Amino acid sequence: MKQGHVFLKKLPKQILQYAILLLGAFCALVPIVSCVTTAFKNDEEYRTTSVMTLPESWLNFENFKVAWEKADMGKAFLNSFLILVCVLVGSTMISAMLAYVLNRFQFRGNHLIRNLFMVAALIPGIATQVTVYQIMTVLHLVNTLYGYIFLMLGTDVIAIYIFLQFFENLPKTLDEAAILDGCSYFGVFFRILLPLLKPAIVTSAILKGVGTYNEYYMANLYLQDKNLYQVVSTSLYTFTGPMGSQYQYICAGVIITMIPILIIFLFCQKQIYSGMAMGAVKE
Amino acid sequence: MKHRILALVLAGMLTAAATACGSTNGKTSKNADAKPTVAYKDMQVGETATDLKADLKILTNRTDLVDSDFQDYISEFNAMYPNITITYEGITDYDTDATTRLSSGDWGDICCIPTTVDKSELSNYFEKIGDYGDFKDTYEFADKQMFNNEVYGIPTMGNVSGVVYNKAVFEKAGITELPTDPETFLADLKLIQEKTDAIPLYTNYAAGWTLTAWDAYISGGATGDADFKNNKLVHSKDPFAKHDDMTGPFAVYDTLYEAVKQGLTEEDPTTTDWEGCKAQINEGNIGCMVLGSWAVPQMQAGGPNADDIAYMPFPISVDGKQYASASADYCYGVNVNSTSEEKTAAMLYIKWLTESSGFAKTQGGIPIVKGDAYPDSLESFQSITLVTDNPAPAGEEDLFGKINNDSEISLDSDSTHVASIIEAAIGGNQTMEEIADEWNAAWTSAQEKNGVTPE
Amino acid sequence: MDMAAHHTEVGLSKRKRQLKWSNVNVQKVVVTLTFLFVPLFLLVLFTYLPFFKMVQFSFYDMKYIGARKFVGLQNYVDVFTRDDCFNALKLSLYYMVGSVVQLALALLFATILSFNPKGGNFFRGALYFPSLVCGIAVGFIFKYFYTHGFVLDSILGLLGIPEDMLPFWLKDIRINNWVLVASSIWRYMGQNMVLFIGAIASVDKTQYEAAAIDGANAWHRFRYIILPSIRTIVVLNMILAISGSLSVFEIPYVITDGGFGTSTYFVLMDKLAHANQKVGLASAMAVVLLVLILLVSAVQKLAEKKLDSGIRTSKRRARK
Repeated sequence: MKQGHVFLKKLPKQILQYAILLLGAFCALVPIVSCVTTAFKNDEEYRTTSVMTLPESWLNFENFKVAWEKADMGKAFLNSFLILVCVLVGSTMISAMLAYVLNRFQFRGNHLIRNLFMVAALIPGIATQVTVYQIMTVLHLVNTLYGYIFLMLGTDVIAIYIFLQFFENLPKTLDEAAILDGCSYFGVFFRILLPLLKPAIVTSAILKGVGTYNEYYMANLYLQDKNLYQVVSTSLYTFTGPMGSQYQYICAGVIITMIPILIIFLFCQKQIYSGMAMGAVKE
Repeated sequence: MKHRILALVLAGMLTAAATACGSTNGKTSKNADAKPTVAYKDMQVGETATDLKADLKILTNRTDLVDSDFQDYISEFNAMYPNITITYEGITDYDTDATTRLSSGDWGDICCIPTTVDKSELSNYFEKIGDYGDFKDTYEFADKQMFNNEVYGIPTMGNVSGVVYNKAVFEKAGITELPTDPETFLADLKLIQEKTDAIPLYTNYAAGWTLTAWDAYISGGATGDADFKNNKLVHSKDPFAKHDDMTGPFAVYDTLYEAVKQGLTEEDPTTTDWEGCKAQINEGNIGCMVLGSWAVPQMQAGGPNADDIAYMPFPISVDGKQYASASADYCYGVNVNSTSEEKTAAMLYIKWLTESSGFAKTQGGIPIVKGDAYPDSLESFQSITLVTDNPAPAGEEDLFGKINNDSEISLDSDSTHVASIIEAAIGGNQTMEEIADEWNAAWTSAQEKNGVTPE
Repeated sequence: MDMAAHHTEVGLSKRKRQLKWSNVNVQKVVVTLTFLFVPLFLLVLFTYLPFFKMVQFSFYDMKYIGARKFVGLQNYVDVFTRDDCFNALKLSLYYMVGSVVQLALALLFATILSFNPKGGNFFRGALYFPSLVCGIAVGFIFKYFYTHGFVLDSILGLLGIPEDMLPFWLKDIRINNWVLVASSIWRYMGQNMVLFIGAIASVDKTQYEAAAIDGANAWHRFRYIILPSIRTIVVLNMILAISGSLSVFEIPYVITDGGFGTSTYFVLMDKLAHANQKVGLASAMAVVLLVLILLVSAVQKLAEKKLDSGIRTSKRRARK
């Protein structure tokens, strides 16, 4: 009885709550959903029907095929995959090692280095590209995959902070016990701490991975030979040229590039949220 | 102690990185002295060095031809030179991206020389192809990329600057005579709007690069003066100011301004579609577009009505006479850092493209070899005097480029200034006179910066 | 791993070395230097060296290619006197207003979602997903969305608003910047929201019950319990959003390419650097913006300290 009463009292508030949530979800999803419906329409439908009508057949993959071929997406996905693997392995190792040293060893300059990375995070990447380009040119890193990978390795501050947070919560007694057992500091890091870092590694890898996969500006600037070095984001951009506003193809391209992200998101929601939450409760 | 070690390491890194940046571009610049084995003028395509082995890469602005015509050219050329492999790379935003890539030195073997390169800088990036004397009598426009009488680029083709239009639409609107001044032109556009469903003038705003076409009309076409662009424009005061007889640059840009302001262009320029416009004009949904003669074959190929597409001079008359400027399109340049074999192969290919491929004719342009037949689309220009810009005098080769760039108006290379006309005409926040005043001010200060006193 | 093992073996065979290696301090120095080398090298190479070079370039009149000329402070004078730079900075105000809306929405959704409504996971995912989408894709999605007669117009059409009454969203200079700001909110709101959800999760739950007994409603609960507890993170995000507003790039770059008065500071800088080849001027613009961002961040640091001490004193007072 009482339960029901409370329920009734709460009802209008509940309705309001869900109305807000539904409206929010609607706004968030409509732009994407309209792309999906358009991508399945054939030429005739695209020209004659309104954006809001559903496609005749959800099995019309013609646009996806055209988009895939025109934008050379096969190669783009292969390149992006190669880049992702290298960048993720590299940046995870680099950031974890750095965070380990900064967290475990108190030396003069420790604070300075932390601040150097802090300030670096404030400098928007695009601002310095004019000069980074010159450096890349001199080092012969322009127009090579490894050059771009090298560059992407060097700009990760978020991962370092996630690892620093995580090390805070790993007791130092772990290290000390291992050292007493005759383990070296290298051993402590690689054998004891790195395996314990797994949740942090997953989170930082997802965030870094999504960032790398989506990165356009530098990929466009440094991977110049689009015949060879097309990546997913730059291949998507090719639609501005030859396909102008044939949105049935563009939408298909957009959906194709979104699928990997969607899959990662659906499977790793927890890690993403917990990683973000870790950032939220810092201090 | 540790602090000092850290400081040392940091300092070491900085110097290592800094010295790395001080060293010169080593990978390819050692080839700068390598010369092609045969001089361009002596090359006999099909006979010279047919066993030559080389891999060539070509940067082109013609993204539309990379998978079609260019592939045919390659296989034709390979019939004579089976050991030369050629790959094309198309770049959409050509001038900007190609300039960025030039600076890295490692971009390929042949490219269309971007308009941003100063003439005096040509030799740093491109191999000399010959002396002006070698080409003067045989090639058109050989002076386009020239410094100290040394030629660094062979034009891909020549363009005539006019207006591509749909004859059927014009007829339907009752236009019997082609307009020869801006006022009549605008009146005709209005007729098209009233009597047909077509968009009278399509701006192609969104594509960006298409807008720079407008800059090609301001010199020869709008003045009838071959000295205007490279000699007068750089020296005169307020070149963008309005002339009472509606000639000169102002008349050209004002035509665009008025057309947009009077609603004679597409409703929403931000969503124009370059590829789509070809079918639209072909099918009679667009009246006309202001583009160089290179656009004609593309519009003809855009749909079933190739015969409806025609080309007319820009509607400006100087003392009752119409002119049209004829000028070189992009020029092929050969990378100065390529090897001797690559340079030879590159020049052979360029020579073949220029003299034997028929590229200019199929693309609706003026052939580079003097005496070759003009394409049919240029027939309406027979009564028109074609004006080719004279080159700048010695010592002033770079002046136009420098003033043009410093003023940020960037005629021919960047479309922002033309886009701003369309934006102002729609927004109503600036008149064409005010825009011209702004440009004149920018032009004047750029002239002063480069030591020119405007007259 | 192997390296460590190798070192120990070598160390065992040679006494002197073993002595040295087992010396914890020496080991520490070696580990520190090896582990620091790569990240610091990359940091110096791709962040600080370019930064110093950029400062240097900002005193020159130069193109990417060709000769350069020292011009002193002229580029800086230009940055401060040019109308377009100033207008571009003014555009940041739109995005600042937008970021306030964005944070408010994020707080609203975060608060609702923190009390586990049915389907909360779906809503959280739907609202967060846009922030994972590639910027270029976002550009296309919204170009399509705003094109006359397409998505947005159709939706409004369903609501009974005729198409000819609707403006051209990207062309009309009275609204196009707001339209772009809306896309920006769409893209980044989810990120703030998830952060806030994380922060709210750490709020002591017993406070809600106590408040409920006192008859507090949802607004009271938000205003007097949640907001004070997550104040630091809200302020932090606020300031991040402000410096983010100064450096907006991708959204206008892809959707309008800076046309019709939507050219933000970075879009303008990119154009000057690449289309106009004014590398010196673009560098000066970048330096000016960095100084602005550093100033904002300094304010943030101060605010954080103030807040911290504020919270501490208020807690102390509460205890009394």
